[in-house]
Amino acid sequence: MLTTRKRPKNLDLLSVKFPMSAVMSVGHRAAGIVLFLSLPYFLYLLQLSLTNETGFELAKAELQSPWIKLFSLMLIWALAHHFIAGIRYFFLDLDIGIDKAMAQKSAIIVMVTGFLIFAICALLLL
Amino acid sequence: MSYQAKGLQAWLFQRLTAVFMVLYILYFLVVIFSTEQMTYRLWVEWFSHPLMNTATGLFFIHLAVHAWVGMRDVVLDYVPNDSFRLTILACISFFLIISCLGMLRILFSLSLTI
Repeated sequence: MLTTRKRPKNLDLLSVKFPMSAVMSVGHRAAGIVLFLSLPYFLYLLQLSLTNETGFELAKAELQSPWIKLFSLMLIWALAHHFIAGIRYFFLDLDIGIDKAMAQKSAIIVMVTGFLIFAICALLLL
Repeated sequence: MSYQAKGLQAWLFQRLTAVFMVLYILYFLVVIFSTEQMTYRLWVEWFSHPLMNTATGLFFIHLAVHAWVGMRDVVLDYVPNDSFRLTILACISFFLIISCLGMLRILFSLSLTI
């Protein structure tokens, strides 16, 4: 006979351990959502830059404004993290670096590389 | 097609589209960083070139598929309410199809000018 047992719900996130691979995975997801949400703006910019000469200059000027610079800096991190984390997943799918120690190490490499690209771009842009 | 096979298909699409986009993005970055001064003329000529024009069109199609699988996964994970979930999924797919078609239209009109 089927018995429906109430399963415990644990909503206290502080009681859960978050190893680096988990943080990286959440970052991958969050970055994906951010990239998706920013899509309209970049489609608009690309369209503007391709319509005519003034549009191109307008798009260029818009990318120079301080708030947009901060916004694109955030997106650079999102793209870099999503990109590198995706490559890590690709290797995991091929059974490369699948053991726990290696996976933790590669997760740290992904996080650090993402922030490094972010930092370099921040220095170049700001 | 069985339910499980659909999941596998989504997983495969996610990877295949990712590979194409990685190659496109790397090529894009190489060109951007190796061009001293990007002018409107160079920019339009670049996107009007048949290969780049086609590759960019393909990029946006791959992007739409990739974003659809990813956003669908996120929505399926976090939105338990059936009607709300369906509404969000419909909005996402509508938005992706519209922006993809819009982008293809621009690219197509560009390919006619030169």
